[in-house]
Amino acid sequence: MSMEDYDFLFKIVLIGNAGVGKTCLVRRFTQGLFPPGQGATIGVDFMIKTVEINGEKVKLQIWDTAGQERFRSITQSYYRSANALILTYDITCEESFRCLPEWLREIEQYASNKLTVLGNKIDLADKREVSQQRAAEFSEAQDMYYLETSAKESDNARQNTLENNVSSPLPGEGKSISYLTCCNFN
Amino acid sequence: MAAAIASGPRGEGGSAAASAMTMEWIQSLTDLEELEAAYSRLCEEERVVQEELDGLLEQQSTIENKMVVLHRMGPNLQLIEGDAQQLAGMITFTCNLAENVSSKVRQLDLAKNRLYQAIQRADDILDLKFCMDGVQTALRNEDYEQAAAHIHRYLSLDKSVIELSRQGKEGGIIDANLKLLQEAEQRLKTIVTEKFDTAMKQGDLPQVERFFKIFPLLGLHEEGLTKFSEYLCKQVANKAEENLQLVMGTDMSDRRAAVIFADTLTLLFEGIARIVETHQPIVETYYGPGRLYTLIKHLQVECDRQVEKVVDKFIKERDYHRQFQQVQNSMMRSSSAEKIEPRELDPILTEVTLMNARSELYLRFIKRRIIADFEVGDSMASEEVKQEHQKYLDKLLNNCLLSRTMQELIGYYITMEEYFMRETVNKAVAMDSYEKGQLTSSMVDDVFYIVKKCIGRALSSSSIDCLCAMINHSTTELESDFREVLYNKLKQGFPATTFQDFQRGVTSAVNIMHSSLQQGKFDTKGIESTDEAKQSFLVTLNNVEVCSENIMTLKKTLESDCSKLLSQGFGGEQAQAKIDSCLSDMAAVSSKFRDLLQEGLSELNSTAIKPQVKPWINLFLSVSHNIEEEEFSDYEANDPWVQQFILNLEQQMTEFKAGLSPVIYDTLTGLMTSLIAIELEKVLLKSTFSRLGGLQFDKELRSLIAYLTTVTTWTIRDKFARLSQMATILNLERVTEILDYWGPNSGPLTWRLTPAEVRQVLALRIDFRSEDIKRLHL
Repeated sequence: MSMEDYDFLFKIVLIGNAGVGKTCLVRRFTQGLFPPGQGATIGVDFMIKTVEINGEKVKLQIWDTAGQERFRSITQSYYRSANALILTYDITCEESFRCLPEWLREIEQYASNKLTVLGNKIDLADKREVSQQRAAEFSEAQDMYYLETSAKESDNARQNTLENNVSSPLPGEGKSISYLTCCNFN
Repeated sequence: MAAAIASGPRGEGGSAAASAMTMEWIQSLTDLEELEAAYSRLCEEERVVQEELDGLLEQQSTIENKMVVLHRMGPNLQLIEGDAQQLAGMITFTCNLAENVSSKVRQLDLAKNRLYQAIQRADDILDLKFCMDGVQTALRNEDYEQAAAHIHRYLSLDKSVIELSRQGKEGGIIDANLKLLQEAEQRLKTIVTEKFDTAMKQGDLPQVERFFKIFPLLGLHEEGLTKFSEYLCKQVANKAEENLQLVMGTDMSDRRAAVIFADTLTLLFEGIARIVETHQPIVETYYGPGRLYTLIKHLQVECDRQVEKVVDKFIKERDYHRQFQQVQNSMMRSSSAEKIEPRELDPILTEVTLMNARSELYLRFIKRRIIADFEVGDSMASEEVKQEHQKYLDKLLNNCLLSRTMQELIGYYITMEEYFMRETVNKAVAMDSYEKGQLTSSMVDDVFYIVKKCIGRALSSSSIDCLCAMINHSTTELESDFREVLYNKLKQGFPATTFQDFQRGVTSAVNIMHSSLQQGKFDTKGIESTDEAKQSFLVTLNNVEVCSENIMTLKKTLESDCSKLLSQGFGGEQAQAKIDSCLSDMAAVSSKFRDLLQEGLSELNSTAIKPQVKPWINLFLSVSHNIEEEEFSDYEANDPWVQQFILNLEQQMTEFKAGLSPVIYDTLTGLMTSLIAIELEKVLLKSTFSRLGGLQFDKELRSLIAYLTTVTTWTIRDKFARLSQMATILNLERVTEILDYWGPNSGPLTWRLTPAEVRQVLALRIDFRSEDIKRLHL
């Protein structure tokens, strides 16, 4: 394999209930657009974005998973090799937040990654069902990062959500983000 | 004065400038010379003026001639002016005429167009009447095609024409006609629908097709397609019902019994595909392109209904959900008592993948057909319409019950296949056996057979996501579970060396004697198990290496298999990238096995080789190299150290050569060679040498290198470079001779020793004085 045009390769897997906006987040992040009327994802989707952090080219491989139950066994097979898992819920949907512990149990079964909790759709703040405080408390109790965002009305800071998440050093026993296959393996 | 002279010549330019020399100036001249000069200049001026005048006079006759000619031309010019005026008049006239004519032509054209329109309208009205009469006759004769053709004609008439006609003088008649026509249209619609329904009930295909063709003539495209699909769906349903009955009657001993549900789905899909194939031309011809989607959309509803029935039966008959539940329970709990036997899952897993493969094939078929049909229909359409149609298609394919049902089945399948793989791998590990003469044990082949089988089965489902998931699970299985097994085996370490064995053997023999005396029997188990442990360690090393290789082979095989699948058009745009990513994760496991091999080898080197080699090398210290002629020749006759050392090495390595794969053995000898070089250097620096002792060491080193060269495929000269250079130093005649080899005199030789080390080695020679060594400039 020849030298690729990046210094690091990180795998990021987005998970969460169906309809919380995972695909939109990934599209916003990788292509800078918000696709209206997005259909349900089938299986897993795959997007690439290369970002530069501290002068190093970091290739992000973003796996956008289907939220529907019947794709769960496909999604699960990606947990272990992920460098970061982003657990997504919809701030206007109580149910999607209440499912988070279930997602956590499932993740524990396959991987021991450091997690980020991401509340999406803050553009619909008037329909908010999950308060920031609740989400923050929950995340803290589980030792997870917590962020809120909107794929629809993304300003630059929010676009960089995934980026920031990657560049921040991860303390604790989770898989450190700066670890993993450099460009020159095999 | 000077100014006058200067200004003088300036006046010479033109004849009129003769006045440059004014009278006053001439009169003011008093000097003769000046006067003469003035005179000669005046003469000169006069001559020039004379010449000019002559020239002008010569031209006079030419000018006069020209004047005469011009006088003659005068009358002609007046003629031309008159002609030009006449021409202008004519042009204006012609222009007016032309405009006149063309405006008349325009009027004529308008009149002609109106005439045509009038004729057209008359025709239309006639047509209308003709249609009206024709419809009545045709209906009376039950010639519905003819009637429909008339209605079609009527429907394609310009509505405004009809409206205008009604306002005309004969409006009343036309109104009546129109009313009759509309009535006929309604009647025909009813009749066609009724007839179609009757034909459908009777299963009379020719009649069904006959009326199917009539619908579009009446502008009832959607209705026609819906009705026709209804008929086709009924056909599909009947056939499917029959097939399902057959399934229930299938003998369990039947050759296809294990995949009977997959076969039933296949029959269903083939049936629908055949219907599409057969009726596509008729739809295209009578309904135009772009209508196939509607037909298939209706058919898909029936397909979904039938798939649901088959899958429900499958789930019930094969106990699919209960088996999945059991697998899940088995995965949660580790108690082996309740565990489901993986072998029992084998047939059902194969059947599910086959079912999915058939579905994918079918979905790909209808996708291609619809795309092709849309392409023809949309060739002139806007980008938006095309996208709209693409969206319809995606929705149909993604949201149909068939897709969802199969996704569900595959979801369960992956979990069950993962369980199957893990449990079978565990079994292979538990049943691991080793045959003498083999380098590896059975589990490596078994495990890779299982992994290959599971991934191969996932691949045969034609679902890229399913395949990727199983590649991921295999990677996990190999990297975590199976690597752990091998790692734990290596962690037990290589048992102590023969020398230590001997010591322990003595003590254990004493113990054994004691116990056997007490129990009255002799037990050799201790010694045997040591051999076994050694064997096991070496076999595990070989296993690890083969694993690393097998993974790369597996990756390559999968790459080519996948490219075959993708070239057939399965999978979306991301399919290749997804597979590549999953496979590269798998390849990364190969290097983890290689790391493990390196770890094992260093362990072997430090526990088995080093403890033996070190004492052998230390024996060097007991052989004096501070020797004279007599001892030197004695050493020649009776080698004091190196031959025995070589013999020992050879004996030791034979064991490894037999038990390890050539590649690993090679690496091991490499490690051993490095070890020898390092250890020998240590003892060398602890010895002292005479001139002949240095020569003796040189001989010993050469023998050792010569031997090691024969047992390794690597070049070992490099590893012994430092020692060879030390031997060179120990062989010097005198201290300063080093300068012949050092620095600028080193020639092709690259010194691996630092100046301090050179001095240190020189100091080993007892006959070299330390002052001489100190004095050296290195």
